Formats: sequence, C-alpha cells, structure tokens
Amino acid sequence: MRDADGDDARQGEYSHDGQHRADPGGGAVGQGRSEGTQSVAHGPSRLSGLQRLLHDGRAALASPNRNARSAVVLGRLLGIAFLICFGTGIYSHLLQEPLGWMRFPTRPTQLYQFTQGLHITTGIAIIPLLLAKLNTVMPALVQVPPVRGVLHLLERLSIAVLVSASIIQVVTGLLNTYQWYPWPFPFRQVHNALAYVIIGSLAIHIAAKLPVIARYWRKRDSYDAHGRFIADPASGSELLPPGLEAHPASAPRAAVSETTGSTAPGLLGRVFRWIDGVDAAPGGAEPRPTGPDTAPETREVSEEPSPAQPTADVPEASRASRPTPEAATGRRQRIARRGFFAGVTAATVGVVALTAGQSSKLAEPFNVFGARGRGIGANGLPVNRTARAAGVLATATAADWTLTVVGHDVSRTFVRAELVALGTAQVDLPISCVEGWSQMATWKGVRMRDLLDAVQAPRGSHVRVTSLERHGGYRIMDMGPEYAEDPTTLVALELNGATLDLDHGFPARIIAPGRPGVLQTKWIEKIEVLR
Amino acid sequence: MKAARIVLVVIGVLVIAFGAYVLVTSVTPKRIGGLGVWLLAAVVLHDAILSPFVVGAGLLLRRAGRSLRAWVLVVVQAAIVLGSVLALVVLPEIAAKDHGQKNPTVLPFDYGTRLLLVEGALLVVVVVVLVIGVVRSRRAGGPSGSAGSSGSSAVRTTG
Repeated sequence: MRDADGDDARQGEYSHDGQHRADPGGGAVGQGRSEGTQSVAHGPSRLSGLQRLLHDGRAALASPNRNARSAVVLGRLLGIAFLICFGTGIYSHLLQEPLGWMRFPTRPTQLYQFTQGLHITTGIAIIPLLLAKLNTVMPALVQVPPVRGVLHLLERLSIAVLVSASIIQVVTGLLNTYQWYPWPFPFRQVHNALAYVIIGSLAIHIAAKLPVIARYWRKRDSYDAHGRFIADPASGSELLPPGLEAHPASAPRAAVSETTGSTAPGLLGRVFRWIDGVDAAPGGAEPRPTGPDTAPETREVSEEPSPAQPTADVPEASRASRPTPEAATGRRQRIARRGFFAGVTAATVGVVALTAGQSSKLAEPFNVFGARGRGIGANGLPVNRTARAAGVLATATAADWTLTVVGHDVSRTFVRAELVALGTAQVDLPISCVEGWSQMATWKGVRMRDLLDAVQAPRGSHVRVTSLERHGGYRIMDMGPEYAEDPTTLVALELNGATLDLDHGFPARIIAPGRPGVLQTKWIEKIEVLR
Repeated sequence: MKAARIVLVVIGVLVIAFGAYVLVTSVTPKRIGGLGVWLLAAVVLHDAILSPFVVGAGLLLRRAGRSLRAWVLVVVQAAIVLGSVLALVVLPEIAAKDHGQKNPTVLPFDYGTRLLLVEGALLVVVVVVLVIGVVRSRRAGGPSGSAGSSGSSAVRTTG
C-alpha cells in the first residue's frame, strides 16, 4: 500500500557507483537527490539463490524506521552511552588496580556511587538502544552483494566485532549485577578488555559511516517537507530503499518498494499482500485522501515548498488526480517512525526507571526489578560477601581478636576497647559496589590517620590492610595516602547505630570515601605502613 | 572528512590492539577460546533467532495495524517493546535467583511475581487502548467501521 503513489514516483534512476563510499565528499548535503521520474518497476532478474534470499530479506525488512536517519539518531545515543560506560568503567578499574603514581579524588565522597551507578544504569539503558539499533540496520545484514571488496569486508568484520562484543559486554555486565557467571571466562578481565575492543571498533565504525552520519546528522536534511525520508545514494548508506542502495551497477535490482514487499513476486509477495491487505490492483490500498482532513495537507504543500523537494518528483498527472499523495506517504512514514521511537523510548525509560533504584535514591520508589533493595540486610544494609562465604566465622568472632598496626619503627596491637579509647568519629559514607548498587550509611569508628599517628607513620604513607579472609582477591587491600589521611576514612566498629554485623565486617572494617565496596575491606586484622 | 576518517581508523585499530593485549595478558588462552565461542554465539543468537522473531512480531503488528488507529498501534507497539525488554532483563534475573543467591540480600525480591504483575499491567493497558480504539472508530466511522476504512481514517486523524 505504501508504495503505490508517492514512493515509486521519486524512486528515480541513480548512477550506481560502487566506489562512492570511499569518496570523502560523499556526504555532501543535497547530492544525488531525486533526479528522475522513472519508477522502479523492473521485473525480477535472474538471481542466484543467495541473491534471491538476500533480496527477499531486504524486501521483508524494508520499513520506514529502518533508514539511515534512524541509525544515526540511535547511533548517537549509543555512542554517548558507550563512552559513559567506558569512562566510568575505566575509572572503576583504575580505582581497583591503580598505576603506582595514581591518586584519586576523595571528594565528593559519593563520587564512586555516582560514577558506578551511572555505569550500570547506562549499561541497562544500552540494552533497548542496542536492540533498536540492530533492528534498524538489519537490512544491511542482507545487503547485496554481501561483500563489495577488501575494504568493505574489513568494515563488515569490524561491525561484527562491534556487535558481538557489545552484546557480550551488555549480557555479562547485566548478569554480573545478578552475581551470576554462567560463562567459561573471568568476568572482570574480559569486561575490561572488551571495553577497549568496543571503543576501538566503534571508532572504526564511525570512520566508515562518517559520510552517512554527516549526511543524516540533522533532521531537516533527512526528511522532506512531507516527512518522507530522503534517500541519498551518494551518502553510501546501506539502508536505502531497495533499488537505491549503494551497489555496483551490475547488481540486479528487485522489484520491491520502500516500505513493503507487497509487490514482490512469489510466496513473499503473497505474505506481504496478506499483511498489508494489498489487492492486485496497484494503489488499491492507498487511502485516497479525500474529505476535510486533506485540506491542511494541501495547504502544507503549497505553503511550504521544500527546497529539498525535486520539482520533477511527481508526475503532473498524478498531482492533478490525487492531491498530495506524497503527503499521505510522508505522514505514514512519520507515524511509523514515531511509533518506533515511542517504543524505544518507552522501553529505555521503563527498564531504567524500574532498576535504577538499586543505585539512585531518586528512583528508589520504582525499584521493582533492581538486583538490590535499600535497607535490606543486617544493619539495614545489603551484603555482598558473608562471613560464612569468607570463611571467617570463627576467627572474626574470636575473643582474642586484635588489630595489628605495623609502622616503620613502631608496631602496636589493639583490642577493641583500646581502639575505642583512641577516640571515635562518626561519618556518613556510602557503600558503593562495582555491581552498581549503593547505599548511604552511618559509620562510627577510629580514624585511620589516628591509627597511623599511633605508630608514627610519616605523612604521605601508603597503607596495606589485610583481612581475616583466608582466600579471595580482595583479602589484601592497598590504600594511597589520599585515603589514609582523609578524616572520613575509618576503621569502623559500628554501622547505622549498632555494632557492626558479622556479615558487615565485625569486629572492624575499613570505610573510605569514593572507593568501590570491594576495597572497603571487612574483618581486618592488620594494617601496615608501606612507604 | 578524509583526515578525520583516517585518524578514527588509526585510533580504532590501536585501541582494539590494546584491548587484545589486555585480553591475552589477563586471560588464559583456554578461557579466551571460551570467550570466542560466546562472542560467536552472541551474533548467531541475535541474527538468527532474536531478529527473525522481532521481524515476525513487527510484521504481525503491521498486519494488525491495518485495522487500528495510529495512536492505538503506537501504544500497543510501545507496550509490547517495553514488555519484551523487561522480560529480556528480568528473566535472567529470575534464572540467577533460581541458580542460587550468595546471600538473601542479593536479588532480594520475588522477580517472577513482579514481572507477571508488570506484564499484566501492560496487558491491561493494551486491552484498554484497543477497546477505546475500536469503540471510537465505530462511533466515528458508523456502519463503515470496517478494517480498511478505519485504518485509513486513523492515518488521517493522527499526524
């Protein structure tokens, strides 16, 4: 139905230059727009099996929202989201594995809560955006011919890398928030390495698509006055309506229209005629815009002639007999696009709103599907690693527990009462986990710098903290002077007004500003001054 | 533009190379093999299973859309997309909880019930919108509230 009137009129003949993708001037706005009036009515050429399959695929996938402009819009959002995740992810990684010279900000104390919450929330938002983007560019998957040369092959390979790495990154990241690891590789190392692979292949992807991105960056360059997508073969887009996409002139052209496959021959055509209710008569399903509703459209056409609208676009006869068929087409395309983006927006906003409560207090009332709930757990705070899992049930509850503080010349051991006697401080600091959940809490304990003073540690000392845990990657934690000397860094003994729960690190744990939860070492037994 | 493209490609290749270096220096070859299988499976799963399913659903929606007003179709489509994405995110969560929590504060909610409730609410929205759409088009279209004419009038009334 959508092909009948307006579209075929503007599907003119173009010169198909297979090399123009590499043409740096290919993105010039306004190039190669409709130049003729010949409609695409070629019968099916003799196609090979694969080509037939690919053509059928393209016909089935043709849709007003699967165009270069949609790909650019979604690509921009995804690009921003990937960069946010990359930046916050690298920050989180460096916090855990700093290079020797690195120092980190301790203010605002909720910095890591913010960056990691942003990392996880953005990562969740990527899920619907990535699906939408892949859906939009699906016709390019079945482009004909599949490969146009070495460069094109490399480009398609780089896209394959980008897509597969992105999917794995999102899936593993999401399941990591559920603490479920059903894959045969280590999560943290792979998540870290793939981040670079994604950003690198994204840069290559942007380079390859730069003419298309430039051509369809602005809305006003992408749609004509009626809201119809301006198919510009000079852009090198692989998402143009069949017959207009970039391919060598030798490639066969299928008789399919922009939005439907209803003119396609064979079974596919029959399926599409069922879907769209198109009769054999051409234009049968095209709603004839009659009655009062069409009047504004007519005015729109006469009052706002778009410079982008080629004058030879519509045959005079058509214009006379059917007022503004292009307006009807444009309106239909616009509705389809808006419907598509309404769905993407609903999915993105919905999935973010229903999960962001795990890392943002603002979204807490809507925390329906978050992997964590605020206030749940001992001391009103969730737990990541329990005392049982850490194997400290006996050692952490032993009556003779002491904290050993080793200085360069002086070493001291403290029983709990002696720690309290040093003088306690109370601070509000969040527990912010790498898995994205976070919660503010009130801690009471001895300042780290008071303990360091007690063993005459020099200013600027690095500190190593050892836990009672017998195993685990975070048993030993190093702390730079920016944390060790911060007045809010505590050896905490109490949490939210009660003695530290065993699962929260009893008898004593570290709490420092702006660090991931895995570095807030629990069940500590020794603090060493390093240098 | 050419210079920008060259710079981007060079940066891209270097960053990928660094990622590969990070990978081979932090993960054993055997586990990199496992990662390769997963990377391949991700593309195959998406392109061969999820995509055709989504395309099929989209075509069915297009078929249904012939007899629906545009705003009805948009709401129904948005509800389906949101419901699908939520299922995609929450079903693994249910599986993860079923697989075993490390402690009761991890995955603390009854996600199965919550998902059913949310999907049920979306279903209610879809039904209500469909009913309103059909009633309105009957009233507006009178006896000619047939599929074809209501479809076209919908397109005309919503812009």
